[in-house]
Amino acid sequence: MINIEIDGKLVEIGRGSTVMDAAHKAGIHIPHFCYHKKLSIAASCRMCLVEVEKAPKPLPACATPAADGMKVHTHSELAVKAQQGVMEFLLINHPLDCPVCDQGGECQLQDVAMGYGAPASRYSEEKRIVMHKDIGALISTREMSRCIQCTRCVRFGQEIAGMMELGMAFRGEHAEIMSFVDSSVDSELSGNMIDLCPVGALTSKPFRYTARSWELSRRKSVSPHDGLGSNLAVQVKNHKVMRVLPIENEAVNECWISDKDRFSYEGLNSAERLTKPMLKQDGKWVEVEWQVALEYVAKGLHQIACGAGADQVAALATPHSTLEELYLLQKLMRGLGSGNVDFRLRQSDFSMDGKQAGAPWLGMPVADINTRDRLLIVGSFLRKDHPLLAQRVRQAVKHGAQANIVHATDDDLLMPVANKAIVAPGELVNVLAQILKALAAEKQGSAQGVENVTVGSEAAAIAKSLASGERAAVLLGNFAQQHPQAAQLAVLAERIAALCGAKFGFLGEAANSVGGYLAGAVPFGGAVQGMNAAQMVASPRKAYLLLNVEPELDMHDPQQAMAAMYAADMVVALSAYKHHATDYADVLLPIAPFTETSGTFVNTEGRVQSFKGAVKPLGEARPAWKVLRVLGNLLDASGFDYDSSEAVRDEALGMQEVGGKLNNHLDVALQNTAATKAQGLQRVADVPIYSTDGLVRRAASLQKTHDAVIPCVTMHGSELQKLGVQSGDTVKVTQGRAAVRLAVQADDIMPAGTARVAAGHPATAELGAMFGTITVERA
Amino acid sequence: MEKITNFFKTFLLYELVKGMALTGRYFFARKITVQYPEEKTPQSFRFRGLHAQRRYANGEERCIGCKLCEAVCPALAIKIEVAEREDGTRRTTQYDIDLYKCIFCGFCEESCPVDAIVETRMFEYHGEKPGDLYYTKPMLLAMGDKHEEQIAKDRAADAKYR
Repeated sequence: MINIEIDGKLVEIGRGSTVMDAAHKAGIHIPHFCYHKKLSIAASCRMCLVEVEKAPKPLPACATPAADGMKVHTHSELAVKAQQGVMEFLLINHPLDCPVCDQGGECQLQDVAMGYGAPASRYSEEKRIVMHKDIGALISTREMSRCIQCTRCVRFGQEIAGMMELGMAFRGEHAEIMSFVDSSVDSELSGNMIDLCPVGALTSKPFRYTARSWELSRRKSVSPHDGLGSNLAVQVKNHKVMRVLPIENEAVNECWISDKDRFSYEGLNSAERLTKPMLKQDGKWVEVEWQVALEYVAKGLHQIACGAGADQVAALATPHSTLEELYLLQKLMRGLGSGNVDFRLRQSDFSMDGKQAGAPWLGMPVADINTRDRLLIVGSFLRKDHPLLAQRVRQAVKHGAQANIVHATDDDLLMPVANKAIVAPGELVNVLAQILKALAAEKQGSAQGVENVTVGSEAAAIAKSLASGERAAVLLGNFAQQHPQAAQLAVLAERIAALCGAKFGFLGEAANSVGGYLAGAVPFGGAVQGMNAAQMVASPRKAYLLLNVEPELDMHDPQQAMAAMYAADMVVALSAYKHHATDYADVLLPIAPFTETSGTFVNTEGRVQSFKGAVKPLGEARPAWKVLRVLGNLLDASGFDYDSSEAVRDEALGMQEVGGKLNNHLDVALQNTAATKAQGLQRVADVPIYSTDGLVRRAASLQKTHDAVIPCVTMHGSELQKLGVQSGDTVKVTQGRAAVRLAVQADDIMPAGTARVAAGHPATAELGAMFGTITVERA
Repeated sequence: MEKITNFFKTFLLYELVKGMALTGRYFFARKITVQYPEEKTPQSFRFRGLHAQRRYANGEERCIGCKLCEAVCPALAIKIEVAEREDGTRRTTQYDIDLYKCIFCGFCEESCPVDAIVETRMFEYHGEKPGDLYYTKPMLLAMGDKHEEQIAKDRAADAKYR
């Protein structure tokens, strides 16, 4: 520790810190633009110049290492003069169009110019103009002339997002920030550049000119998308959500949010929103009062439960529902006498049901990912499924961690990967068995059950990497959890983790992947046992209750799910949107999305985050927990008298600490670990980042991005040769009863014998299960 | 001595004579009453009357929808909605001043970075039914078009004091 004096205040600070760090610690503000605590130091803006005693010239606080006994003055005559001079220079080419600038009112340049600038400029010559470039649907660069070349956006791309999509070209007065020729900014974290930009050069395209910062009220919320549960500030004007910004929480999202969290708000005001309860009468949809619709639902469910048996009623809920909704849904079903309730819509292997020691979770706090030195990530489209967790893995790798990947595609993770095993889906279990065997040999542990596998070089390298670490983690991604042998993968991963003393965890697919288990919205565990999501559609039920589910997009096997929906006597869709349910449902009940209801999400590390509604529900939509409460009362189920969502939450979680209910241990026996040589092409289905849930599917700007283009069939080049087609050709993709036509693309990131056909997208919704054999022919 | 003076003043009607003298002076003096509406008092070029929205000489409206006037208005009389026009510029789609609320403080005019919203010399207006004095953007622009010459002259006269 060293001592340094700033403006007469003594500060004790660690060796290697800068003057800026010391000033922060002392609570002294030094004006700055290019400095950002999460980014590397550029010292290019010179705004943080301070006077250091015995230094001949003012020094930039952000880049000056603090030294013992240093005396710093931030408001001395020399410092103030330097700051005023820098400010005058920065404003020479700044257009001063604050009245039309979206940044106006929340602009760092405006604030610092007011606080530290001279009253007037002496510059009266012409200002430079930078022509705008189109860099995609999310970020507007129309006013690049406002740029002050702080390069925060460039450094963000290099260091946080992992891809340098913006850079500074030319020199001096001609210097400008631009993307590569004709390319857009496609990072799934790109929206953070808007927050980082200290001026109005990079602004939000969807938000452009819709409101000024001082008109917006700021309400706290939690992201309903991926398992991280980013903390959001929902900004509201006239009961309409105008934009979403991050709230800093070092333990969860740091100061970032993904584009999905940031821009999905557009879906809240979509024209497809369902605003009145609707009933199908004689094949026609009519708008009715809530009372009528709810009584119809209660009567219908009661009749089917009494007539055909309670097990003929089934409920499916999206894992993006709140804890309260999931809890009340399962309570309603169990009140009816049916245990058919599930939220794990895309899961296909349920053999671990009832054999889990607790709710599967990340196995460690989210922030601990940064400190891992060895990582084994199995079956995860990491960057697209968990943009911010991928960012944390990237930071870990930057600090020397080795990332090992076992997956069915070799997607670019934008970080150095130490070892990888890219195999067809059927061989994933075998690869993990190989790693287990090799690791057992390294660590002199038990290789029971995997003695017969032959260890390949890739698996050996991964095992070696894991064995040499001190703080390892083994993580199972969405693909592994949706895999038909998910339980086997989990058992193997757990044993691998145990051998190398690693943390073992599941990357939560959705906002409430952990919360769903805690709420008991699963067919086992509760008082009444029932069917899981796959069984519910495999053997069709007479009545379905859908909580924000679009079966053709959200289910593991859309074909089967849709057949079950069409065959049902009664389908009740609680939905925020008018979607395909109009074809097969009998009742549509408008429910409120996350900004319009209070609720709780339990994120992948088991953090319980409750939030309040930011705006009132649109039209006659109502929070789903209230709808389910009234349904419970109408069905005479006991214990549905809640005053608030907090009461539901407290009942759902009990008085127990959540931590005690989280456990990844599985009591499943290891089975045959031989690689299954499958006949024909195997489907590898990812859920594209902007197709994961109803809200993002209706966010207009996200749907215009590169990540939202119509999926094509991606196969290894050799597979294309076999078919005699070329990249760009249209092929016929057949699975189960249906065929669709899609463009084909050669990409050697796919192992031979596989075809990547995305799920969750309308273009592929007619196809069958996310895994299995698929036929690709010339069209 | 004072007692004696007062005694004589009381019966010589001194106060009455003094009062009548004042009356007489004004009776014959030049009259200053303004015979409104035939006659009008002179106005300052800073007079704060009815609002108007101005245009540039090429016919383009000046207002850029920065909403500073809306923010500064102490009576919350101004309501603005903004959107991007086809040519990419920031323009108002709604600009209303509720003259029932307005206190004619002139802050809107003061805050305007482009001299778009101004207060004219016009003070003779009325409303006959509720809502008549709720001025919308076309009404304000029409005011501006009608009085532009006077408005421009007044801004020019005030320019040297700014």
